[in-house]
Amino acid sequence: MRPVMTRRVALVLAPAVWRTLPWRTLGATGTVGLLPAALCRLLGAEPGGSSALSLLRFAALALALGAAFLLDDTARHTTAPVPTGRAARTVLRVVLVLPVAALWWTAALLLVTGPAGPPAGDLTLEAATAFAVAVAAATVAVRHTDRTDPGRTVAVGLVTAAILVPVMQPSRWALFVWPADPRWAAAHERWGWVLAVAVAVWGLSLPEPRTRRSLRLAITSPCSTSGPSGGR
Amino acid sequence: MVATKATPAAATRSASRGSRGSRAAVFALARFETRRLLLRVPVVVALVGYGAWIGWRTLQPQDDYPALQDVDRATQGGPLFVGLVALLCANQAALRSLRRDTERHFGVLVLSPAHRTAAHALAVVPLALLTAVAVAAQFGWEALKPGVVGRGSVAELLAGPLTVLVFGAIGVLLARLVSSAVAAPLLVGVFFLLFVGGMYPSAGRETGTAWLAPVVSGTGAQSLPSALLGRPAGWHALYLAGLALTAALLAVLVAGGGRARTLRAALAGALALTVLGGVAQTGGIPAVTTAARIRASLTPERDQTCVLRGRSDYCAFPEWTPRIGDWARVAERVQSLTGGSARGQHLLVRQRVEARYGLFDDAALAPSTNPYQVTVGTAWGGNRVPEFSTAVASVLVAGNEKAASRLCDGRMVTIMWLSLAWQPSPESVLRHVRLDDSLSGSAVVISRTEPLTMTAGQTKVVRALLHQPFFSVAAKVKAHWTELTSRGVTTARAAELLDVPAHIGPDRCDA
Repeated sequence: MRPVMTRRVALVLAPAVWRTLPWRTLGATGTVGLLPAALCRLLGAEPGGSSALSLLRFAALALALGAAFLLDDTARHTTAPVPTGRAARTVLRVVLVLPVAALWWTAALLLVTGPAGPPAGDLTLEAATAFAVAVAAATVAVRHTDRTDPGRTVAVGLVTAAILVPVMQPSRWALFVWPADPRWAAAHERWGWVLAVAVAVWGLSLPEPRTRRSLRLAITSPCSTSGPSGGR
Repeated sequence: MVATKATPAAATRSASRGSRGSRAAVFALARFETRRLLLRVPVVVALVGYGAWIGWRTLQPQDDYPALQDVDRATQGGPLFVGLVALLCANQAALRSLRRDTERHFGVLVLSPAHRTAAHALAVVPLALLTAVAVAAQFGWEALKPGVVGRGSVAELLAGPLTVLVFGAIGVLLARLVSSAVAAPLLVGVFFLLFVGGMYPSAGRETGTAWLAPVVSGTGAQSLPSALLGRPAGWHALYLAGLALTAALLAVLVAGGGRARTLRAALAGALALTVLGGVAQTGGIPAVTTAARIRASLTPERDQTCVLRGRSDYCAFPEWTPRIGDWARVAERVQSLTGGSARGQHLLVRQRVEARYGLFDDAALAPSTNPYQVTVGTAWGGNRVPEFSTAVASVLVAGNEKAASRLCDGRMVTIMWLSLAWQPSPESVLRHVRLDDSLSGSAVVISRTEPLTMTAGQTKVVRALLHQPFFSVAAKVKAHWTELTSRGVTTARAAELLDVPAHIGPDRCDA
C-alpha cells in the first residue's frame, strides 16, 4: 500500500488526464466569465470601481463554476481499482488546470482593472478561494457519494451561495464588501481563512475512504456504469 | 426515475380518452414536479430567506409610516432571488431524465417530450403563486400599519410573481436548448450580474430600455404622490406575462410540440403580447405626468389640501392628509417650549416634493423664504421626525428656512434644544440627526431642505442642557427668549443665559 505516484507515473498519466478534463465546460465558463468584461472593454466603457468589482467577482464565480465540474468522470467506477489511486489523479487534474486558470484570471484582471480599479491582489484571493471551495466541495462529493457527476450539485450550491450570501451575510462576518468599506481588510482576512479551510478539507478528502462501503462499491461499481443506478 | 411512478395511472386513462387524458397526465406530472421543485434545497433556502427578509424589512422602525405607492414597488426585489433559484432548479428538473438516462424509458410512455416539457413549465406556476402570497402578505402587512398613506398598484405587485414565472420558464427553455449542466448556473450568474449587480446597461434609469429588465428600481428614497410616478407598471406586467408564456411555449415547441399548429398560434400570440408590452412600456414618461411633476414641485399649493390645526395651517398632497395629525403634534410640542411672540405664532407647514428630476433622484429641496413657512417631506418616522422638529424650531427662531440655513451663532443652541428636548432619549436623537452620528465636535444637522451646522461649542452646550432638568431649562428659555433668539447672540452668551458652565470660543461655521 505504498504510494504509487512517482514522477514517471505522473508523466505517463498527465496526457491521459489532460484529455479527460472537462474542457468544453471549462471553455464555456471561461468564455462567459470574460464576456461581460470584454463587452465593457469593446463598447469603450471603462468600468469604474464598483462595476469593475462586479465584473471580476462574476469572472471568479464563472471560474469556480468551471472548477466544480473538474472531477466529473464518467469512467470513475471503472478506474477505481487501478494502482494509481484517485487522490493522485485528482491532484493531477487540479495541477494541470491551475496554470490555465491562472492565465485566464490574469486576462480577466488585465481586461478590467485600471488605475482606479479594485485591489487586484485581494480579488485574486477571492477568486482563489472560490476555486478552492468549488474543488473541495467536488472532492468531498466524490469521496462521500458514488456519483460520477458531482459537478452539477456543487455548481448549484455555489451559485445559490453566490446569490444568497451577499444579501444574507451578517455584518460582522461579511465576505462580500466594497473596496471603500472599512471592513475590506477584515473581510479579506476571512477570505484567507475560508481558502485555508477549503484547501485543508480538499487535502483531507483526497484519499479513498477505507470503509466497507468503498470496498463494496469497488466490487459492484463496474456493473453500474451503463444504467441510471450509478446515481442514487 | 421516480417520475415514472406518477404517470402509469394517467397513461392508461389517456389511452382511453385521448387528448383529455394526456392533459390529465400532464397535470399529474406537473403536480409531481411541483412537489419536487418546492422541496429542492436551494428553493427552500430561498423561500426561507425571502420570508425572513420580508419580516426583517417590515419590522424596521423607519418603515412604520409606509406610502403604499412605494411599498408595492418594494415587493419586487425579493422575488428576483426566488426567480433566479427557480431558473436553476427548473432547469435541473427538466434535465433530470437526460442526466439519469431515463429518456428512453419515457419514450415508450404516452407523454411525449413536449408534454413533459409543458409539465415542467407548469410546475413553476405554484412557486410563482407562493411568491404572490408572500408579496400579498408583505403588502398587506404594510397596508395594515397605522401610519400608512397612499395607494398601491396591482400591476406593480404582479411584477414579483411574474418574474419568478419568467425565470422558471427560461430555465425550462434553456434545458431544451442546451443539455449541459453548467448552462443554468452560468445564466443565473449572468442574470445576477445584470439585474442585481447593476451591470444592466440602463440600470438606475426610469424610462426607455430600463423597462426591459424584470425589475426597474433605483436608489432614490423619496416618495411621490401616486399620480406623479409615471411608471408603466401595467404594460410591464403584460410584458413579463408575455415573456413567461413565450419562453414556456418555445420550450414545448423545441421539445417537438405535438399539435404544432395550435402551439405556433399560441406562441405567436404570446410573442405579440410581449412585443406590445415591451414597446408600450418603453414610451417614456407621458407629457401629463411631466406637467403634473413640474406643478407639484413648483406650485404645490394647487394640488394640496390645507387643514387648520391649533394655531397653524397644514397643507399636504391629498394622499398625505392622514399624516397631518402627526405633524401637528410635533409642531405643537416644539411651539409649546418657545417664549415671546413665537408661542402664538401662526405657522404654515407645507409638504413639498422635488419631482422634476424623476423618481430615483432624491434631490434636496430649496429652503423656503416665506416667513414662518415650514417644509415637510413625504417620508415620516425614524429620523424624519426630529428632522421636522428641527425645521419647526429653526423657523420659529430664525423667521424663515433660508435664514435658518445660514445661521451661525448662539441661536443654534435654542433651535437644537427646542427640537430635541421634548423627545424621548433626546441625546440619541441628537446623534441620529447629525450626519456623522457623533456627539461631540462640529457636525452637519440633516434637514429636508438645506442642512444646518453645529459647532463644537454649540454641541457641548446643547448636550449640557439635555442633562439638566427639563423644566428648569424650559423656564430659562422662556424667560430669556428675546435675547436667545436675537441675531448675533454668541454661543458663549447663550450658555451664560442658560446657566451652562462651559468655556466656549467664538462661533465659526466655515469648517
